[in-house]
Amino acid sequence: MNTFYATNLLVYAGVDIIACIALNLQFGVSGITNFAFIVFQAAGAYAASVLSMPPDSNPDYSFQLYVGGFQLPFPLPWIGGALAGGLVAIPVGLVVLRKLRSDYQAIALLVTSIIANTVITNARPLLNGAAGLALVPQPLQDQIDPRSDEYYYFYIALTAVCVGLVWFVAARIVNSPYGRTLRAMREHELAATALGKNPVELKMTIFIVGGVIAGLSGAILVDFITAWAPSVWLYPETIILFAAIIVGGRGNNVGAILGALLVPVGLEEVTRQLIQMDIGPPNLIPALEWILIGLFILGFLWFRPEGVRPEPRHVFRGGPDVGEVEHGRLA
Amino acid sequence: MAIYEAAFGFGLVSMSVIALAAVGFTMQFGITNMINLAYGEVMITSAYVAYYLDRAGISIWLGMIAGGLFGAVFSFALNRIVYAPFQRKGTSNLGMVIVSLAISLMLANALLPIVTYNSVSYSEHTGSIVRLGGLVVTINQMIIIGLAIVLMIGIHALLRYTRLGKAMRATAANPTLARNCGIPTQRVIDMVWLITGGLCGVAGVVAALNSDSFAIASGAGFLITALAAAVLGGAGQPYGAMIGAVIIGLITELSAATWSAEYKEVVAFGILVLVMVLRPQGLLARRGALAAAG
Amino acid sequence: MRIRPTTLAALAALALGACGGSTPTGGGLGSGDLLVGVLAPFTGADAGLGPAYYAACLAAAPSINSNGGVGGRQVKCQKFDTRGEPADAVPADSQMVAGNSNLMAVVGCTSDEAATVAPIVDKAHIPMFCMTGQTEFNKTKLKYFHRLVPADIYDAYAMVGWALYGPSPAPFHKAALVFGNDIGSQAFVEPATNAFTKLGGQVKNFPITLGAASYRTEVASVIAYQPDVIFTEALGSAGTFLGELKTQNGGKMIPFIGTSATIDPTWFQQVSQAVGVSTLVSNYGGVDLGYDFSGPAYSEFITNLNAAASQFSDAPKYKQRGSTLHLYDGIIMTALAMVATNSKDPTVYNPKIKEIANGTSGATDVHTYKEGIDALKAGKSIRFVGAGGQNNFDQYNRRNLKNSIG
Repeated sequence: MNTFYATNLLVYAGVDIIACIALNLQFGVSGITNFAFIVFQAAGAYAASVLSMPPDSNPDYSFQLYVGGFQLPFPLPWIGGALAGGLVAIPVGLVVLRKLRSDYQAIALLVTSIIANTVITNARPLLNGAAGLALVPQPLQDQIDPRSDEYYYFYIALTAVCVGLVWFVAARIVNSPYGRTLRAMREHELAATALGKNPVELKMTIFIVGGVIAGLSGAILVDFITAWAPSVWLYPETIILFAAIIVGGRGNNVGAILGALLVPVGLEEVTRQLIQMDIGPPNLIPALEWILIGLFILGFLWFRPEGVRPEPRHVFRGGPDVGEVEHGRLA
Repeated sequence: MAIYEAAFGFGLVSMSVIALAAVGFTMQFGITNMINLAYGEVMITSAYVAYYLDRAGISIWLGMIAGGLFGAVFSFALNRIVYAPFQRKGTSNLGMVIVSLAISLMLANALLPIVTYNSVSYSEHTGSIVRLGGLVVTINQMIIIGLAIVLMIGIHALLRYTRLGKAMRATAANPTLARNCGIPTQRVIDMVWLITGGLCGVAGVVAALNSDSFAIASGAGFLITALAAAVLGGAGQPYGAMIGAVIIGLITELSAATWSAEYKEVVAFGILVLVMVLRPQGLLARRGALAAAG
Repeated sequence: MRIRPTTLAALAALALGACGGSTPTGGGLGSGDLLVGVLAPFTGADAGLGPAYYAACLAAAPSINSNGGVGGRQVKCQKFDTRGEPADAVPADSQMVAGNSNLMAVVGCTSDEAATVAPIVDKAHIPMFCMTGQTEFNKTKLKYFHRLVPADIYDAYAMVGWALYGPSPAPFHKAALVFGNDIGSQAFVEPATNAFTKLGGQVKNFPITLGAASYRTEVASVIAYQPDVIFTEALGSAGTFLGELKTQNGGKMIPFIGTSATIDPTWFQQVSQAVGVSTLVSNYGGVDLGYDFSGPAYSEFITNLNAAASQFSDAPKYKQRGSTLHLYDGIIMTALAMVATNSKDPTVYNPKIKEIANGTSGATDVHTYKEGIDALKAGKSIRFVGAGGQNNFDQYNRRNLKNSIG
């Protein structure tokens, strides 16, 4: 198998896994339906780009318009990307997570995603508008030739390290007292509030943590493909990740990884292959892919709402027998 | 200054189109507790139903009725086949949002290979032009405004003065209690989907007629505007949606006239965000969904 | 929308590579099949573009192959789908370059993706023929970049020229610029404004957001400005805008001049539906590129394009599509350059492409691959005048407009 192809697959898998873990923390563990998830990935990607690119006055870059251009060395752009994801999460969270009921929050976030994309598309001086950013420098490209096999291995390793790091953090959160509180809030917000937990604060924290991880995933992706534009982060991209979480098993990090491998990686790969075969009218295969994603969501919510890998039951052994506790019912 | 008068006139047209779309959307939410994100795609599908009839030589006004019928039947079926079973299964409101989003994507993509990305137009054009001072309106636009007013009054009368309307309000306020009082809530809900679906279909054809040229991608825009108007006025409240439509319709056109046309939609959404921050329940406080305004 | 590699392409390419083997034959042209990569949108909103370029390749390949190939090597075509998005294009591009050692040229790369794909192709030293008019390529340093459409700036000048000097009811002196906020469109605004003002015209810019439900207020502002001509490229929203313009102006259309991108069946269909065919015909001027659709080169092109229907049934539909003609020419020129330099090494044959296109003094004009090969065998230097007319690349490998303004 050709190295580039394998690298491409592995890096995308890594990015999707990181994104799914972040979304799982928000949606699976805490019950925040973050329909604006892709915005945080985009924030990370844009931040990493302008941190590593030279100013737009540089002759090679002068065909684009953007703020920044700091030429920071790796890994600062990635750290910056992660921070940007978290920073963007703060105002969005303050607006949306306050007192709105949960389905209302979902809608507000969906609208946020659309507004953000419209603004960036139209405000060209900010991040080059619809054309987006191109020629984003890659990590350590002056030390290793980005077209060499060595560089591909290096990038896979970098991605793997990030996946490991994110996995570690997510696992710590899920198994900590904080994670238990989040689940309690998801199951019964009023009860959690009665026990003295502040749901807005809890949601805010995990919203920012999710934003940071999403930002990192964007930074990894943009430095691999070296370009970013509004057309890459339209809201349906978020839906694919939701499908992954629902299929994989919400609340379960292993499930999130499984979902990432099944939906954004697996399904997309199959579709790509079919596109090459020229079946039917030009957009038939991509359209069928979306229909299939829709069927996945409906099918899993109906037949197996807990996903392929259900969230493990967290039972407190010493407590009284409460019988069948209603468990994280999405469906 | 003529431009502001003209923009005001266009605002009247826009708000009529938005109101038609938003009222149906918000009633679905208010009575059945369902944020139906497939609404925009049902609108565009109805617009295409009218388009194909138009191609076959049938008048757009008959096409509009056909679009309305299609919207009614489709929405009714959608609820019976997908939404209601999921709700009966105990799916949370949040889960239902995801379900409707999935339906929305599936519908748009089922349509795509048939209608392609290309824009199309109805052969019936805007009709001759009427000038009232600085206002520039076509006959068709006046019909649209008239239609919106008639339908809004109709909705008001339905909710206020008919048994069905009262049953709807009772179902919205407390479905269990309504059922216990002998209201056949199942039938009421079926009626709600038929009526709102019909509104949705008509709104789709009107919106398509209004924009001269439309495409599959327009569906998402239809949804977002309806949603913005509904949320702005207070989700679940038909009168709120009407107010929301008035505000959004005027703001988009006036901001295009005063500031930059490139940001007219952003301005409308900006106001929506502001309302969400300052008054999350929407402009009309929620005193039980579907409570009469004023 | 999503960004994924093209697996099958890789596997197919591997298979091709394997069949080709690595036993060199005689000259420097090598052996095995040669590949032309058609790197363009095949899905997504611009899915209409890719097939036109693919057709160009499918027509060029038999023209070359049935005349001995490139030193015996057969030319094959392969699609690489960019989905019409700059970021999606990168994996498809890298994939194409990394997986195909037998790549002789790349065609396609529209304004949608050129900014991201061209640097990668250039780095791999593969000659490319791009269908982009973007200004950033006006003074490009990319040695392997060739542009067969006029730069946006020439397009803008041509519009200005049309308005001031004819052909039809000109001259116009007051222009409204109505361009979408997309990648390609805004590039016209500045050059058109400057040129028109310099020549004594009055001009105002009315940018619009593509995809809005209506443009009534924008239209009212345009009408209030009372222009006698409109310059436009608002792909996708042209129907809505122009339809409303006609309505508000009391059914009377203001003449409008479109960029070369508006010379497109989809655009015509949309606008004619919205304003009516007769209005479109009597009020529209498109900056055309002056094709003849005749002559020996064109008839060879048509024969091969029709034959390509066996592989791609829609191919004959593109018989008058400018981009199809140009890319067909580009591929044949590349093949001729390879034969002329007797080399499969792009660093050697790439400079020759420009020479064959522009011609050196005393060069023989050739119109088909066969004529070219015969002339080369006879030891002559050649200039290729193809189906799309005479080519003339400047120092930045852009094709100059022969009908640029008077």
